[in-house]
Amino acid sequence: MALDAPEVDMTPMIDCVFQLITFFMLVINFESTQADERVKLPESEIAKPPKVKREDEVTINVGFIRNADGSKRVAHPLVFLPGEDVTIAQMTPRIKKDLQMYKLQHPGDAVKTTIKLRSDSEVPIGAIQDLIKLYQEEGYEKFALQAMEEAPKE
Amino acid sequence: MATRRTELPMPKPDMTPMIDCVFQLMIFFMLTLKFVQAEGNFDINMPIGQSQGQADPLAQDLKVRMIADPAGNLVSLQMGSRKLGNDERAFIQLNSEILRAIGGTPGGPASKDTEVEIDADYNLHYSYVISAISACTGRFDERTKNVVRYIEKIKFAPPRRPSN
Repeated sequence: MALDAPEVDMTPMIDCVFQLITFFMLVINFESTQADERVKLPESEIAKPPKVKREDEVTINVGFIRNADGSKRVAHPLVFLPGEDVTIAQMTPRIKKDLQMYKLQHPGDAVKTTIKLRSDSEVPIGAIQDLIKLYQEEGYEKFALQAMEEAPKE
Repeated sequence: MATRRTELPMPKPDMTPMIDCVFQLMIFFMLTLKFVQAEGNFDINMPIGQSQGQADPLAQDLKVRMIADPAGNLVSLQMGSRKLGNDERAFIQLNSEILRAIGGTPGGPASKDTEVEIDADYNLHYSYVISAISACTGRFDERTKNVVRYIEKIKFAPPRRPSN
């Protein structure tokens, strides 16, 4: 006599899975995808995210390509762009291109974009100043220096 | 003539495609999830025409000089002509000096009018400059859990390029 296959009640499992999906959907932060993992930001106790979301911002990651042991493969800092790494001097044509795109979208407006600079702790400040100058020359005037939020000292 | 209603069995929906999709979604969210530490920032306004180091005529200037060794480590932190050292205590002292310079009243008129110019050696590591900016910007109040702002305007002196 053939026995019927026992029916498994899937409801509790589906409940759990939906709870998990909801959790992941809520905690996922697509904005953090602009952050490059090669950049080790310095820490600051008082660095806080802006209270009001900025109108328009561009994230620029500056850091070093390192070997597995943490030593620098190239002595000079590089700007990590999607798909390629360029030197600070090579940024000028890219800044000009970004500006052209901005002006097409906002004809006649002054540049309101904030340049969010995510820089590695060991990048020379002079290199960051050079990069700021390149943006300034094209009309950008708002800059934000990023730092990791440090837990307050007890 | 009365008709007898026959009770049909409830059709059982096939859950397999939905479970497949739900698992796909869950795997996607699990793989794309990154637990990152929160980031904050320090806003710096550098308008067109105001190059690095150019003074605001209405602002009272405080100069913070940061000297680096060839490796980019801090050798000396100075406020005006006062040498504050090169360790963590130097930044705590800088924080106290800034508070004194604004008259001990954060948020007051001196706090708004005073501008700090950071003049760092070209090769100094970015982390030291962030520490100096933090020390100038204010302090974290343990009681209120808020940041007490000392200085709102911070600017950079022109970069000191190495001669060779």
